[in-house]
Parts: sequence; structure tokens; C-alpha cells
Amino acid sequence: MPHAQFMKRLLPIPISITLASLFVAMWTAGCGSNSPTTQEASGQGEKQLTVGVAFETLQTEYWVAGFEAIKEQLAKRNIKVLEAIANSDSNRQFEQIQTFVTRGVDGIIMVPKDAKTCIPSIRAANSAGIPIVLFNRPAGESDAKSVAVQADNFKLSKETVAFMIEQARKTGTKHKAMVIMGDLGDINAIGRRDGFDAAVKGNEDLIEVVSRVPSEWNQEKAQAGVVNALQAHPDISFIFTSSDFLFPSIVSAMKTAGKYKKIGEPGHVILGGFDGDATAYQMMKDGYLDATGVQDVYFEAEATVQALLDLRGGKDVPTLIQDPGFVIHQGNMDEMTPKMWGANIRK
Amino acid sequence: MTLQKLILVALRYTTLLLFGAVFLVFGSLSSKFLEPVNVVNILTQSSSTAIVAIGMTFVLLTAGVDLSVGSIMFVAVAVAGKMIFTGYSLGLSICAALCVGFVFGRLNSILIVRFRIMPFIVTLGTLYFGRGFGLWLTETRAMNMPDAVTQLGAARIAGIPIPILIFLSVLAAGHFVLTQTPLGRQIYAVGNDPEAARKAGIRVNRILGVVYVLSGVCAAIGGFVALTQTGAVSPTFGNQKEFSAIAAAVLGGTSLFGGRGTIFPGTVLGAVLIQTVENGLVILNVDPYLYPLVTSAVIFLAVLIDTTRTNLLEKLGRRPIRVEPVR
Repeated sequence: MPHAQFMKRLLPIPISITLASLFVAMWTAGCGSNSPTTQEASGQGEKQLTVGVAFETLQTEYWVAGFEAIKEQLAKRNIKVLEAIANSDSNRQFEQIQTFVTRGVDGIIMVPKDAKTCIPSIRAANSAGIPIVLFNRPAGESDAKSVAVQADNFKLSKETVAFMIEQARKTGTKHKAMVIMGDLGDINAIGRRDGFDAAVKGNEDLIEVVSRVPSEWNQEKAQAGVVNALQAHPDISFIFTSSDFLFPSIVSAMKTAGKYKKIGEPGHVILGGFDGDATAYQMMKDGYLDATGVQDVYFEAEATVQALLDLRGGKDVPTLIQDPGFVIHQGNMDEMTPKMWGANIRK
Repeated sequence: MTLQKLILVALRYTTLLLFGAVFLVFGSLSSKFLEPVNVVNILTQSSSTAIVAIGMTFVLLTAGVDLSVGSIMFVAVAVAGKMIFTGYSLGLSICAALCVGFVFGRLNSILIVRFRIMPFIVTLGTLYFGRGFGLWLTETRAMNMPDAVTQLGAARIAGIPIPILIFLSVLAAGHFVLTQTPLGRQIYAVGNDPEAARKAGIRVNRILGVVYVLSGVCAAIGGFVALTQTGAVSPTFGNQKEFSAIAAAVLGGTSLFGGRGTIFPGTVLGAVLIQTVENGLVILNVDPYLYPLVTSAVIFLAVLIDTTRTNLLEKLGRRPIRVEPVR
């Protein structure tokens, strides 16, 4: 029987579809499996180090930019990379770290799902004597030893909002404000909310917070929340979002309410964000965004890899290395754009 | 009317009564809440979830479940978004999104009907496949749509926003199919007892195949409606939408065991009720920590009352057994 005919008989259409789907799924989402995939970095001479990089998710531009920046730093140092993505599943992430430990990697870089569920993973690495550095999310208090590199969410939000308040003061009128919060279970979201509150405190004569919208990091919820808040308070003129990735939804709601105006135009709403992504860069360039707090991904990636190598070398490393980040605004845009990761991924 | 009958009538219209109560409470606390503009806002914001929940109701009525609706929404809008950016017309992009919904629904139905794999497992698989495929397609980058897309979401025909019109069209079609056609009656029959339905000459496999396709297409339509409002395809688009859709259907009285439930007023009221609660909480500027507590309390209360009603009806339907005195 000719091969093609045999295959035709053997594989009716549904089976073919299923197998094709499985093949594509395995091909496209290989990094989502429990077994980490390997990427060889070229190198000769001394023993090549191997580092496991385990990310909780790649579901935002920020995580993708961080992932790429870390791999770039490791490649620069001729270090072999094992990759693993947990797709927001802390159990899967624990298994991935166990696999790294079993394979005897020389170091682990991890973005944990949250502060608590990563502790068993850190303990597993500690027991095997493998240094572990957490990228962007530190672990909760425990006897497990790790180093974390994290943006100072509180300070950076506070500085961003302080800049926005400065702009508000220049208008000479009192402003009604809205803050769009992230997931209340995310320590980074809480830090940003607290930074907003700290900046507003003491400026109540100028800023009255009339709406707090919980977005759960969901664009639909953010859009509905902003529409509802603008319905209740049509005179809101000051909006801060805890992440730039919510801007498209916020802008859509503002446009519907006729409140999306350029800086300097009558009716402009003072707008600020956090992250420094590509959308924020474009909005700033177009003259709509007043300021955003930028997490310095490149600094964080370099500091993470350096901390890992220092731990391996037996050096003392502080348990928390903070990325000071920076506030980018219309006044310093030309100077700071090269450091804004969102501006670079747009290119 | 006896007290028992009164209680039964009240229990029958649980969701409606709860909806009225929620409206009254929020309305008394803020005059903004009752403004017609806000009512339109609530309906617009409910549209996407309600459309997905209508598709989900068809599946739940057959005692199945479709966990892949959120992923189908994501892939459908990702494909449409890519096409819009490539220069294809909006109409063609919408057709492509609907085709994605059809293909995913068909894939689910083939795996469930022909291979007899449990719907939970199949749709869980397509949930992961769809999410992975969508991430690969979008390269995990947010796609900000051109103004034409958000303008579509804000546009009105005869004073009614387009998202509400799409929602009403899907509602009318779904309600008609379920209540006025043989297909609708067969769906209920399959959900009540598939074996009895088979013996009665109903092609059970065909019915099961159809409901997953309907669910897939509804998910794609719901996805596009959501896109006209958010104006962007983010990597988390449609994430966990399956839970909102199931919650809306169950809140509207649809049984997870199949055979019982309605699209109108049931599922639609459920979807609008959830959005009404969230809208009211934002208008009142309630502490964000209370949002999940209040929303879950409303869902829990509705389901509890519905279960009480079912138990009461069962109790009333029992034949009293007379015990003969022993002589």
C-alpha cells in the first residue's frame, strides 16, 4: 500500500487535526512544559556555566523585555541558559526549579508567582547549594536564602505622582483624582498604590481622590471602571494607573467621555503611569502623557546576573537590590528615552 | 394564594428580585447610579460577558462545560487585530474572528463527540492551546487598535450603542433557538437524560456537536465586542472569562447538571447583575478590597436561594405515604 494512501486510511481528519494541534502546541509552547528547554551559548575553554531561568509568565511586554534582557546578559558572559515558563502555576514552577536542581545547574534566576509559594523552591536550591536570585518580585520572610532585584515600586510611584501634582499645582485649580490599581494580591501593585497615597498625602488642598478602581490587571475591568468613575465624577482631571499596559483601555474610556486631550489643550486630564512600556512611550511622544515611572529593565537584568555570579564567587550580596528607576516626563524625554525599555522595543 | 405559593413565586424569580434589590440599594445611595446614561453603561459593559454566557448556556444545558471561551476570545481578536494591521477591512477581520470561533468550537465538538473525551478535559486542552497559540501569534506584545475599532464600540444606531445592539441580536437569536425550535427542545432533552433522548430518536451527538460550535462562535463575537471597548489586544485578553460566563449562567438559574436554564431572562439577568454590582461599587467609591466580597456574596445568595427552591419543589412533588395504623 502506498505510504500516502496508508496514512490517509490511518489518519482520519479528526485524528490529523488533533495530532497537528498537539504538534503545534508542543512546538509553540515548549517553554511552558515542566521540562526546561535548553539554549546553548557558544563557548570554548574553561567550563561553561549553566543557569536556569524560570519565569512565572510572559504575559506582558515587561516580562518579555526582562526575559530577553537576562538572556542577553547571560549570553554576553558565555553562560548556557535553561528556560522555563510556569504559565502562572506555582506548582509547575516548583517542579521546574526541582528539575534545574536535579540537572545540577550553577545558578537559578526566578520570577516567582508570588512572595510565599516560591519559598519551597528557594529551599530546594539552598539545600543543593545553588545560588538563586529573584527577578522583580522578592520572597516573603522565611529561613530560605535568596537575593532579589526589584524596582522600588513605592518610591517610583511616589515620585511619578509627585511630578503630576506639581503639574496640577501649576494649573491653579483643585483636581479630582482617580487611581487605577492592579491586583490587590500582587505586592508590586500594593507598593504602587501606597506610593500614590503617600504622594497625595499632604496635598489634599489640591488633590481629592474620588475614585479607586481595582483592575485586577484586566483591561476590560479597567475600561469599565474608568467609564463608571467618569460617569460618577465627570470632572475628574487627574488619573494615575498602576501599569502602563492598561492605557489603551483608559484612553478608550476617556475618548468616549471626550476627555482625551493633549497637554496644554483645554480640558487636558493630567495622566501618569508606571512601567515605561511602548504604549506609554508613544503617548508621551504624542503629547498626551504627563509622566510615567520607568522600571529600568536593563539595570535589573544586569544586577540579577551579577548578583548570581557574586553569590557563586562567595561574595556578600545584599538580600534586596533595588532598581531606583526613573520618572520620564515631557521635560526629560529626549535625555531618558534611550533608557526607556518601551521606546526600544517599539523600534 | 397560599403562603407556600407566594414563597414559590418569589423563589422562582430570585435573580429578578435580587436584581431589583441591588438596583434599589445602589440607587438610594447615589443618584448617579439611576441616571439613564449609567444604565446604558451597565448594558454596554455587560454585552461581552453576556454574549459569551449565552453560548455557555447552550453547553451547560447539555450538562457539558466549555472552559476554552476565554482563549477563543483571545485568538479571535488576535487574528482580527493582525488582519486590521495588515490592511484588511474591518468587515473581513470580523469574519475571520468568527471563523476562529467556529473552528475552535468544531475542534471541541469533534474531540468530545467522536473521541468521547470528557468536555472538561477537551476544553481545558483547547484553553491552553488557544492561549499558547495567541501568545505566539501576538509575540506577547499588546496590539493597540486603530481608532476605527473603538469608534465602532462608541457608535450608536437609533440611539443604541452598537455593543448593546449586537448583544440584543445574539440574545434574540439564542432565545428563539432555545424556545421556538426543535433544536432547543432537543438540547433540553439531551441535558435531562441523554439515554432517554437517544431512545426517543434524538441524534445526541449532533446536538452536542452544535452546542460547542455555538459556544465558540459566541465567544468570538463576545471577544470582538470587548475589543471595541478596550481598544487593545493584550496577552491577558479574555483571561478567566470562562468563570464570568459560567457564573452569569448559574446566577441566572442554569443547572450545571444540564436540562434546566434559560437565556432570557436567566443568563442575561445573571450577566447584567454582576456588572451592575461592579458598576455600583465604583460609583460609590467603595473600598476595592470589598469588591470580591460583595460580588461573591450576591452570587452565593442567588445560588443558595435557587437551590432552596429546587429542594422545596422536590419536597412538594413527593407523594405522601399514608402509614396504616397497626391493628
